[in-house]
Amino acid sequence: MAATLNSMAEVIDICPVSELPPGGMRLVEWEDLEIAVFNCNGEILAIEDRCSHDNGPLVEGELDQDECTVECPRHGSRFDLHTGKPITLPAYVPVETFPVTVDGDIIKLEVE
Amino acid sequence: MATPEKTAEQRALQGINADYKERFGFHDAENYLYKAPKGLNREIVEKISEFKSEPQWMRDFRLKALDHFLARPMPTWGSPILASVNFDDIHYFVRASERAERSWDEVPADVKKTFDRLGIPEAERKFLAGVGAQYESEVVYHQVREDLEKQGVQFLDMDSALREHEDLVREYFATVIPANDNKLASLNSAVWSGGSFVYVPPGVHVEMPLQAYFRIHTENMGQFERTMIIADEGSYVHYVEGCTAPTYSSDSLHSAVVELIAKPGARIRYTTVQNWSQNVFNLVTKRAIAQEHSTVEWVDCNLGSKLTMKYPSVYLLGEEAHGEILSIAFAGHGQHQDAGGKIIHAAPRTTSNIFAKSISKDGGRSSYRGLLEVAKGATEARSKVVCDALLLDEDSRSDTYPTIRIGEDDVDVGHEATVSKIGEEQLFYLQAHGIPEEEASKLIVNGFIEPITKELPMEYAVEMNRLIELQMEGSIG
Repeated sequence: MAATLNSMAEVIDICPVSELPPGGMRLVEWEDLEIAVFNCNGEILAIEDRCSHDNGPLVEGELDQDECTVECPRHGSRFDLHTGKPITLPAYVPVETFPVTVDGDIIKLEVE
Repeated sequence: MATPEKTAEQRALQGINADYKERFGFHDAENYLYKAPKGLNREIVEKISEFKSEPQWMRDFRLKALDHFLARPMPTWGSPILASVNFDDIHYFVRASERAERSWDEVPADVKKTFDRLGIPEAERKFLAGVGAQYESEVVYHQVREDLEKQGVQFLDMDSALREHEDLVREYFATVIPANDNKLASLNSAVWSGGSFVYVPPGVHVEMPLQAYFRIHTENMGQFERTMIIADEGSYVHYVEGCTAPTYSSDSLHSAVVELIAKPGARIRYTTVQNWSQNVFNLVTKRAIAQEHSTVEWVDCNLGSKLTMKYPSVYLLGEEAHGEILSIAFAGHGQHQDAGGKIIHAAPRTTSNIFAKSISKDGGRSSYRGLLEVAKGATEARSKVVCDALLLDEDSRSDTYPTIRIGEDDVDVGHEATVSKIGEEQLFYLQAHGIPEEEASKLIVNGFIEPITKELPMEYAVEMNRLIELQMEGSIG
């Protein structure tokens, strides 16, 4: 089911679903934000692409589709892609999450 | 005038001081079930996992960690001696016995003889709630008092814990220190063996300490124990570890990973008396999570090793959690003690103290390296950092590398640092009261470290004072 979009927010098109299959990861740049978009067993999720510990690029990390987590390639912190919360140290501050919808065949991302 | 007779204690001290080799640095014949060839590769890692009949997830974890280790460069900070660690000249796994026995009588005779010489079974009888004894790569003896076992306290070697409590181990393993945290943690994650697993159920207070003793015996040995302590809600445990090794002319490597989890209202005290021989690189990662209203205390005494790089840390993740780091480092000739601690305040009304003391003599080098971080939102955090260094001669060196990051306005943080030399005036004053110069020097050093040794259980405080006094022999003149 598509999430309700915030009327104040801007919605940007990412790509067709076919271009981000399960296990896929994609970096989206919007203004000064870098956002990592993941396909976890068919569920599309997006978080800020910057580890809160040492700015590691999460989109280059290891995606665990069953747990729906990504591991920072720099020091190994794992983040819950639903909440943005780190589930292992050394990171302890959550990263931002972004609502995602699929409209027709297109993945859309809500940013503010 | 006749020389006054030495007291029994002085004679004993002199005897012990004859050399480290006599008391701790002795080596017996090698009689192993398996000794891996020197060097590290995928085959060695797979062999360790196979020896231990581990589940697939742990084997995968090890192999991934090996990739991280190989990909990471050696750190360039800390100490110039670090560059001389030769990872190809180390035995990564040595098996001395089939299993961790619960009776000393079952431990192989020559191994038991070693621990007898070190006084471990005697200490167990007198004042400990449980003991784990690791010889080379694996734990050879493990026992916990029956009454604690009945209360649900788990105190096992880590290999047995993985077999007997796989779900619990898997839930927490590497969540405090991931395999990719740093190069040495990656190395430990790839080849870990032995160490302790402690679980204390809610509300249980373990009044007497649990002790682990780590012994390296082989030349060019690598010891990579892995320890995890989980103190459930409102519980208390004090874990003490000691370590020694024979003196060899070539280097050995000790690289442990220690993860502590203090659940709400729990308290963990972790005491280390590190007395490796001076051919051991001691490169250890220790980190704790403190949830709300819990307390974690690291009491970290570093006397031995060639180079120690160790900064126990506490992440104060829950409101009103408290962290405490008490650190003593003693650097003698040829030694570099790069020690300190890290505290991260990540929740409101958290409190912490770091007290670090170092003594350098005979050209030894000690460094305090610390981090104090207060995250945004950790309002009303309070912290005090005090680091004092004592230099006993002109050739020795002391450095302080404190880092403080404050992301919140409403905090109370203090930092004090002093470096002092044993003053002529202090010595003169004591000598004027009839105390010989060497004795006077010891008194000054004892007074300097007393705030930390008084935090040790009595038996360890006595031992610590003795060791410091021994290190002080001949330091004047």
